[in-house]
Amino acid sequence: MTTMDNNAHPLFEPELLDRCISCGFCLPACPTYRLTGEETSSPRGRITLMRALQDGTLEPDDPTLREQSSFCLGCRACEPVCPAGVQYGQLLERWRVHQWRGRRRPLLVRLLTRAAAQRRAIQLAGWLRRAARRPAARGPADAPHLMLGCFERVLFPRVSTAARSLAPELAAPASQGCCGALHAHNGELAEGERLARRLGEALPGRIVTTSGGCAAHLAGVLGRDRVMELSEYLDGRTLTGAGSASVAGGRTAALGEVLVNGRRARVALQDSCHLRNGLGVWREPRQLLRAVADYVELPDAGSCCGAAGTYSLLRPKDSRRVLAPKLDQIEAAGIDYLVVVNPGCQRQLITALRRRRSRVRVLHLAELLSLARVRTG
Amino acid sequence: MSLSPTTLDRLRDIVGTEHVRVAPGELAAFARDATPLFQARPDAVVHPADTDQVARILRLATAERIPVVPRGAGSNLCAATVAIRGGIVLALTRLDRILEVSREELLARVEPGVTTAAMADAADAAGLLYPPDPGSRIVSTVGGNVATSAGGLRGLKYGVTRNYVLGLTAVLPTGEVIRTGGRLWKDVAGYDLTRLLTGSEGTLAVLTEITVALLPKPAMARTGLAYFADLAAAGRAVSRVIAGGLLPATLEFLDQRCIDAVERYAGLGLRTDVGALLLFGDDGDESTVDVQLRRIADACVAEGAIDVTTAGDAARSEALLAARRCSLPALSRLGALTILEDASVPRPRLAEMVDRIDAIAARHEVTIATFGHAGDGNRHSTCVLPDPRDSDAIARAERAFAEVFAAAIELGGTITGEHGVGAAKLPYLEARLGTEQLALLRRIKSAFDPAGILNPGKLGS
Repeated sequence: MTTMDNNAHPLFEPELLDRCISCGFCLPACPTYRLTGEETSSPRGRITLMRALQDGTLEPDDPTLREQSSFCLGCRACEPVCPAGVQYGQLLERWRVHQWRGRRRPLLVRLLTRAAAQRRAIQLAGWLRRAARRPAARGPADAPHLMLGCFERVLFPRVSTAARSLAPELAAPASQGCCGALHAHNGELAEGERLARRLGEALPGRIVTTSGGCAAHLAGVLGRDRVMELSEYLDGRTLTGAGSASVAGGRTAALGEVLVNGRRARVALQDSCHLRNGLGVWREPRQLLRAVADYVELPDAGSCCGAAGTYSLLRPKDSRRVLAPKLDQIEAAGIDYLVVVNPGCQRQLITALRRRRSRVRVLHLAELLSLARVRTG
Repeated sequence: MSLSPTTLDRLRDIVGTEHVRVAPGELAAFARDATPLFQARPDAVVHPADTDQVARILRLATAERIPVVPRGAGSNLCAATVAIRGGIVLALTRLDRILEVSREELLARVEPGVTTAAMADAADAAGLLYPPDPGSRIVSTVGGNVATSAGGLRGLKYGVTRNYVLGLTAVLPTGEVIRTGGRLWKDVAGYDLTRLLTGSEGTLAVLTEITVALLPKPAMARTGLAYFADLAAAGRAVSRVIAGGLLPATLEFLDQRCIDAVERYAGLGLRTDVGALLLFGDDGDESTVDVQLRRIADACVAEGAIDVTTAGDAARSEALLAARRCSLPALSRLGALTILEDASVPRPRLAEMVDRIDAIAARHEVTIATFGHAGDGNRHSTCVLPDPRDSDAIARAERAFAEVFAAAIELGGTITGEHGVGAAKLPYLEARLGTEQLALLRRIKSAFDPAGILNPGKLGS
């Protein structure tokens, strides 16, 4: 590849790359920089690498490019701290399209993205796993739909049933597919956008999701106003005053408290990176948790748990290194439940805490809130 | 020039194979710092772990005449850490231990790779204050701060980095390890090499340990905001504050463009319909701080402030300061290429300098936004260009900056208040220092660095 080719079809929109002025304010927020202390593994360093790729001063198959595009978690913690407004997540998606082109894509990624695109297979698996389903809404055109997800439907089917128990008005047609976040983050940007639009057609109106990663991707393709993550949807709707009454025309369930051994449960939250850094949603889940339990803020609640989509499968060692300090914090916090808002985090933390024989249980926000549901006669 | 396989092997022997990087991608990532328009790939990036390794690397470099560029976080704004003659970038981020914080002696001893914020936090936890707070404090390293004598938002009352450096461990380019100063405020044994090395921008020696003075932490710190019709009015208010016998910790100003950019990033509810903003702040006992802030507010009103408020609580104060620290990167949202200089003038000439810059900008048809440390006369003029590849616009901006430097010197000021000379301002240094002083600088440089290997093409070159 030559510089001339790059100028004709730039890999990155120049406006995206030009945003970065290399001030380095992103360095302390980056998990892989914190891990290594190395410029090359920082957002600023990676953008310098992308620039070298763009202008042809590094070979397209340069090993550092390959390594760093994969070592990056894609957590986007660098975005909210960037005063210049660099949209790093978008840059990374484009970088991976280049870096993981054709046969350079890891085999595992190819298998996963292909599986996720199989709408019928997911529908069948969801049915076998007893995920929620409810026909499309017949009411007004903008009636909200619950997105069931692809991997969440298979791995954590109780999340969608819990979400439905909290918000029974949500329609959850089983024939919906994958939102394409997985594809967009793993070098198949065009396919990721196509799947998101397909989902947008299958679920017209507002889409409510229980997965932070999916929410951010869908919002990026369909528009922020089409998408609501569950905590945003429930926040202010479920809870009024002391966290007991039900509002919004009595459609949503009333919440009481989550009890453990007769006392109020102690809970902490692990943010979803894309929900927090991409959509700016982090207050809402905390407000909900405070209403039903004693909330404990973990020191690193806002930083990546190392799941990072396919990362925990592709780079298990690095994924565990990112997670390790968090596990100590979780144990030290003396909590009963660790609450997550994304299926990847859920899988990562369940696995790691089980390995440690921890007594802390990991639940999705929907699952925890459904424990607090007041059954009215 | 690339390093020979034997040299690389020797470097690997010293620091370990994994700490010598020569892959093109690794070198590309270290080709620049936070300075635009300066880029050069080093031949190797070496990450030493301690003083001894640094000494052995420098001995080798002197013997083989290999340029060595010491680097901390690479957040400097004068291309001080760009390897413009190639050679080795010596990344000191592995030396990141806080060795000591002493309440009894009011000092901290750290390795150079510790971030400014980490050291300040450690001091804070011990009930102490490290006053210098450069805008990049969360990323910049103490070593880099000392090498550039970094300033910051509290310079007016507390001074800058050089006022707090008590002692240094430094490795000379020829490999000898010297310890300058120590733990004492009073120590006049010999030339003040501590002060000489502070601000030497990595051209005389490599710092491997730093002792800084700390102060007892003030009970509280608060800020306030005053809005003015233009920057000149804000400048006059600053003069009135100082003339009134007040010495607040912070007096920062932003022009209309900067307010707009900062507000767009931080969303603090700043007024964007005014010409200038003055952020003032002080620390101390509760009663004193309140009185000080009220007197500053009165001075602002007397100079025609449109609106004056004082922040009610610490969180709001910290948010305002944090937003001010982000001015530069926030400004970059206005265009694609952001070039900055930090010429300084004596405080009473501030308003005049502002007018001169406006005229210069108009003459060269460039947009110049100004923010900075009004209290100490150190302003930051920022030129934001829409197209980073427009060489004509870049040339106009550079001509404008050359005139800004000349104007600053004419008004009794300097070409750089705190960002440093580096490669970026070296061409203007002679105008500031004069031929004789520049020649002396070169003789000092060669006394430390006879082979001229340490950060060549910068100070002393």
